[in-house]
Amino acid sequence: MVPESLERYSRQMRFPPLGEAGQRKLVQSKVALCGCGALGTVLANHLARAGVGRLRIIDRDFIETHNLQRQILFDEDDVAQNLPKAEAAARKLRAINSEIEIEAVVTDIDHTNILELVGDADLILDGTDNFETRYLINDAAVKLGKPWIYGGVIGSEGQTMTIIPGKTPCLRCLIETAPPPGMTPTCETAGVLGPAVAVIASFEAVEAVKVLAGAWDALNVNLIMVDVWDWTFRQLKIAGLLGKVDCPCCKQRVFEWLEGGQGSHTTTLCGRNAVQVAVRREQALDFAELAGRIEGFAAVRHNAFMLRFAVEGHEFTVFPDGRAIIKGTNDIVKARTLYSQFIGS
Amino acid sequence: MPLVRIPTPLRPHSGGLDKVEVAGSTVQELFDQLGAAYPALRERLFDGAELRRFVNVYVNDEDIRYLDDLATPVAPTDEVSIIPAVAGG
Repeated sequence: MVPESLERYSRQMRFPPLGEAGQRKLVQSKVALCGCGALGTVLANHLARAGVGRLRIIDRDFIETHNLQRQILFDEDDVAQNLPKAEAAARKLRAINSEIEIEAVVTDIDHTNILELVGDADLILDGTDNFETRYLINDAAVKLGKPWIYGGVIGSEGQTMTIIPGKTPCLRCLIETAPPPGMTPTCETAGVLGPAVAVIASFEAVEAVKVLAGAWDALNVNLIMVDVWDWTFRQLKIAGLLGKVDCPCCKQRVFEWLEGGQGSHTTTLCGRNAVQVAVRREQALDFAELAGRIEGFAAVRHNAFMLRFAVEGHEFTVFPDGRAIIKGTNDIVKARTLYSQFIGS
Repeated sequence: MPLVRIPTPLRPHSGGLDKVEVAGSTVQELFDQLGAAYPALRERLFDGAELRRFVNVYVNDEDIRYLDDLATPVAPTDEVSIIPAVAGG
């Protein structure tokens, strides 16, 4: 679908490296956006305004008031209406640009559905908040030979890298295994600044425009790190990792996450209003460290066998093997969301 | 002396310091010194003698995996950075 007039994009078409030729490619492109929280809303906003022709927004979550500090497409009315993030974002974006196609998909991305969700896209964008989904995206992107752009933010700092399978290192070349749950801070435990997210998502959006417009020579080949609080900007050279590390994904082409051999397994505990989230871990959770991150906002206690805290009406009981029972919900998707928010994955 | 930059999530294990000057001429020697001063930090970085697989180390802006891994030489003016995976978003 090419709009009759590209006039609305005139200001970016006057930017010579993009031009009208680049704009025509944008309006004919299709992007799959995985996750529509803080990174995702900034990404979707940029890409819809820039005229990316078809945008599929995939998210499993609903909007809560504490999202509004940084998730720029949402407002208080969306919270009052209990709207899913993907749907609320799609409504806003259609009002911003009625000439593009926007599809909202409210689902939990997993190994059974990801190929279908991203299979027809020219580019996959990372707006997620957990490594489980990112490794799944990485497997799917490498298997399908599609570019994808990683972004992650915590506190005042963030990272981004652009992944072109076969030409650049993939996420598993950079980080062979995900940090075990409970080992790294999350936005829920360590906090996050809206502008830090906006900076990283904006870098991702520029890279997306370059990929879609075919400006391959202008792409970022480094791991970009930004800290908006202490004014640091670094470009770490990672290109040399391609082929140097024996990457299970892009070198051996073993897609462990896509095959369902990795990741969490979730079970509803019948009649208990609780869900068990089990994550494969190689080493025992460090309860003292996890407790240290949680005690800033919730009372937490632990012994050698379990750690327990309650937050936002949900009681978490976490075991050393990474398994958690989350009370206060029968909803598997909600439980997986809470796990990645408060324990991390 | 070379400088080791400690990322935010690990600062509780380095006495709150964001950078530490450490004597040594290889990454291994630096981390041996650092680990002796901050055993909890060593625990976060190493699994036995090996770096944990989600911990990346850079000398200046170069990943040690395409240099000489832990044997990568470090000059007195070099900076060694521990780069954590960033999950949020």
